[in-house]
Amino acid sequence: MKPRIAIFSLTGCEGCSLAILELEDQLLDLLGAVDIVNFREGMTDRAWDIDIGFVDGAVSTPEDEKEVRHFREHCKVLVAIGSCACLGGINTLKHYQGATGPKGRGAIGENGSDAYRRYVYGDKAEWFPTTEARPISAVVKVDYELPGCPMVKEEFLAFVTSLLAGRTFKLPDFAVCVECKKRGTLCLYEKGILCLGPVTRAGCNAICPAFGSKCEGCRGIVSKEALVAAGINLREQYNVELQEVLDDLRLYGAYQEADLP
Amino acid sequence: MLAPPIPYKPTNAELYLPKPARILRITQLTEMEKHYELAFLDGHRLNHQPGQFVQVSILGVGECPISICSSPTRPDTFELCIRRAGSVTNRIHALREKDIIGIRGPLGHGFDVTEMHGKDILMIAGGLGMAPLRSLVQYVLDERPRFGQFHLLYGCREPKELLFTDDLTRWRESGDVNLKITVDRPDEQWRGRVGVVTTLFADLPKLNPQDTVVVIVGPPVMFKFVVIEVLARRIPQSSIYCSLERRMKCGIGKCGHCQANHVYVCIDGPVFKYGQLKAMREAME
Amino acid sequence: MLDRMLTHPELLELVNELALQRRIVGPVARDGRYFYEEVTRATDLDLTFNYCVYSPRGALFPPQETLFVFKRTNGTFTAEPVIDVRPTALVGVHPCDIHAIRLLDHVFEQDQRDEHYLSRRAHTMIVGIDCQRPCTEGVFCADMETNAADKGFDVMLYPLSDPGATEPLYGVVYGTSIGRDWVLYGRRGRIPTATDERTFEQYQRHKTDAFPRMLRMKADELPALLDRSYDSLLWEATARRCYSCGSCNLSCPTCYCFNILDETDLSGTTGRRERTWDGCHLREFAEVAGGHNFRPKAGSRLRHRIYRKAKWIRQRTGLPGCVGCARCDRACTAKINSVEIYNQLAEEV
Repeated sequence: MKPRIAIFSLTGCEGCSLAILELEDQLLDLLGAVDIVNFREGMTDRAWDIDIGFVDGAVSTPEDEKEVRHFREHCKVLVAIGSCACLGGINTLKHYQGATGPKGRGAIGENGSDAYRRYVYGDKAEWFPTTEARPISAVVKVDYELPGCPMVKEEFLAFVTSLLAGRTFKLPDFAVCVECKKRGTLCLYEKGILCLGPVTRAGCNAICPAFGSKCEGCRGIVSKEALVAAGINLREQYNVELQEVLDDLRLYGAYQEADLP
Repeated sequence: MLAPPIPYKPTNAELYLPKPARILRITQLTEMEKHYELAFLDGHRLNHQPGQFVQVSILGVGECPISICSSPTRPDTFELCIRRAGSVTNRIHALREKDIIGIRGPLGHGFDVTEMHGKDILMIAGGLGMAPLRSLVQYVLDERPRFGQFHLLYGCREPKELLFTDDLTRWRESGDVNLKITVDRPDEQWRGRVGVVTTLFADLPKLNPQDTVVVIVGPPVMFKFVVIEVLARRIPQSSIYCSLERRMKCGIGKCGHCQANHVYVCIDGPVFKYGQLKAMREAME
Repeated sequence: MLDRMLTHPELLELVNELALQRRIVGPVARDGRYFYEEVTRATDLDLTFNYCVYSPRGALFPPQETLFVFKRTNGTFTAEPVIDVRPTALVGVHPCDIHAIRLLDHVFEQDQRDEHYLSRRAHTMIVGIDCQRPCTEGVFCADMETNAADKGFDVMLYPLSDPGATEPLYGVVYGTSIGRDWVLYGRRGRIPTATDERTFEQYQRHKTDAFPRMLRMKADELPALLDRSYDSLLWEATARRCYSCGSCNLSCPTCYCFNILDETDLSGTTGRRERTWDGCHLREFAEVAGGHNFRPKAGSRLRHRIYRKAKWIRQRTGLPGCVGCARCDRACTAKINSVEIYNQLAEEV
C-alpha cells in the first residue's frame, strides 16, 4: 500500500509546497512511491484519509488555527515544512511593528494591542482578525519539522525516502559550518562577514555561503550552547553585540526569541 | 606515451560488507529485549570468542553493534540479545523467524579464556551486561572441568528486566554455578534479594586472590563500586576483566566514534583488563 | 642531493602530459585564496600559492563516498563494494600535507586494510612542493617537525629561484620510480650541477632560519605536557567560546573520523551505504543509541581533539597527529587557538 500524502498551506507564500513540484526529475518517482490525495497547489481532488500531511505557512489567523487542528485530526503523521511552519518565519516580524515590550516584543498579546494590524491594514484593521504568528507546533503536536526558507527539497525527498525505507529521520544536529567545509567554501568570516552559520542548523548543504551570501538562520538555531558562545565571541572577538545579530535571526525565526539568552 | 599507472588489486574490498544470516528463533526476553538465534545463509560459522560483538545490518536502515550472547562451544548457530533502542533495533524487533538480516563480524577483542583455565571464576553482571557475559557463562558451563569454583552475581533494577530467566533457572538447578540475583526495586511477586549488586558480595565464600579471575560487565556507574569490592578481596588488578559499551560505526578501529581516551573500544576492547581501564578516565564516566 | 633540474615551462609540459593519464588536482586561485581543485591544464594551477584553505585530503578521503551498493530481493540482499580506481595526480602538495597523507595511509592500512581509501591512494601520484618560508602567519609546522618531508611523495620540487623570478627553477628529488619515470619521460630538464647543489644547500640554510618557533616546548614533549593537563580548567574555559561547529575537525588534514549512513531509492529495494566526514567536536559524536553521550560537554570534546592531535595519534602510529598547518586555528570563528592552548598549559606546571 502506497502512503497517502497531503500538502496544506496556512499563512505564507506557499513556496514550500511549490518546492515539491520543483522536484521535477524525481517527481515521477515520487508519484510512483506515494499517492498524493490532497494538494491545492497541484490538483483538484480533496481526500481526508491521510497518512502523511505536510503543512507550510504559520498559524497567523483564527482560521489557520482551526485548519491546522483539522489537519492534525486527519493525518497519521504531521510534518511542518518551511521556516513559517517550523519557526513562525517572516510572519513573526509583525510582532515588532509599533513594538513596546522587551526585545521589541509586545506589539501583540499584551493588553490586546494590535499595533501591527493597524500598521498593515490601516483603518480596515478590524476586518482582519489576525493573531500572533506561531509555528504550527505551538498549536498541535508535530511529528517532524523540515525547516528552511524555502524548505530544502532534497531534504523533503530524503525524508519521504527514509519513511518508506523504515529509517528514522533526524534533522542534522550540527551547524551549517560542517556543510561549508565539506563543500570547500571559503568561510565568510575570512571576508569579514558575520555569517550565522555557526549557530544555524545544517541540512541546506550550506547553499547561501557557497554563493557568497551569509547564512541568515532560516533553518533555526542549532543549539542554545552555540548561541551562548556567539554572545561571547561576537563581543570579545568582533566588537559586536549579540542583539545586533539577533536582528538578523529574527528574519525567519523571531518566534524562537522566547528561548534566546 | 608515458607508461600507464600500475594497476592495484584490492585484497580486502569486502571490509564493510554484511553477510546475510537467517533468524532461526526469536524469544521475547523482556518488554525491551528479544533473543535471536541466527545462522549464516552460506553455512559458514561465526567462529567467535566469548565477549566479541557483531555489527547487525538492516540494509537501507543502518547498522548497530550487538554483543554475541552465545558460546563458541555451540558453534552451529550464534545468538544475540537485542534491546529496542534505535532505528535499526526497532526494525529488527519487527522481524519474524526465517527473516534475513546482515551480519559483519565477529569484531573486537573478547575474553582470553585460556588465561582463565584452572582458575576460580567470579562474574558480576549488571542489567544488559548479562548479554555479553552469557557467552562466557555458557563457555564455562560447557567446559566446566577446566574451571574451579564458579560464582555469578547478577543485579537488575527491576525483576521484569532480568534477562534469560529460563537459563538462570537451569544454571541454578545444575549446581555448576553459585548464582546470586538481586534487584533494586522489587515487585509484589519478588521473593529474592533486594539491593544493588555489591550487596551480593556478602554471600561469597572467601576468595583465593591468586587463583580467581573476576569478570565485570555492566553500566559504567556500576564498575567503580564493584571494582572496590573486588580489590578489597585482594584480587590482583591483572585478574579483573571488564567489558565496555561505546558508540560504534565501523567496528574496525577507523571511524573514531568509540574512542575512550587513547583506546578504540571496538578493536582494543570491548573486553579490557582493569589495569588498562584505569588509564582511561572516560571509561568510568 | 638533487636528482634533476626543471624550468617552469618544462614542469608545465610534464603536468600536461600527466593530465592525459590522470585527473590533476592542484592549487587554484579562487576568492583571493587557494583551493585544491581538479584542473585540465597545467596553466590553471598556481604553484606560487602560499597555502590552500583546505588540505588535499578530500581527493583521497572524500567528504562523502559510497562503501557499497545493495539490492534487496526475495527477502535477502546482495551487496557490491564500490572501489575508486581513477588515476589521479596531486600536484603541489606542501610538506605538512604530505605528512598528513602519510598518517592517513598508516591509519587506513593499520589492523584492517580499508581499500576504499587505499585503492584511491594507490592510484594517486603525489608531486610535492617545498616551502622555503612559512606560508602564512600562525603556522607551527617547524615545531611539529613537518615543514620538510623526505618521503611520502613521488616527486618533490624545491623552488630554488628567487621569488618573483621570471623563470622559476625547480630542484627535483625523486621519491619513487613512478615519479622518476614521469620526470625523465621526454628527457626534459637537466642534470644538477655543483652550482645547483650549492644553491640547494643555501636554500636549506635559509629555510632553517625562516620558520619561527611558536611552541614553548618540543613536539615530543607534548604527550607528557598533556598527561599533566587532563584536569586543567583551561578546557572548560576555552570551550566556553566553542560553537561545537566542527570547523576545526573538518578542515584538519589529519582528521579521518567518519560516520556511516544508509541511503535508499524511493523504491526502497536498492540503496547505498555511505561514509561521510565526521568530527569529534560535534555534539552527537560519542552518543550511543538510547541517548547516553560519553562527551556531552564542549570542554571534554576540545580536550579529546587536542589529546588526539598531540598525544594519542602519535602513540598509536608513531607519526605526528598534528602537522602544524594551523587550519583549525584559522577555521575557528571563535578564534580558539591550539598554539595558545599548548603554551597556556605549559604555564600550569
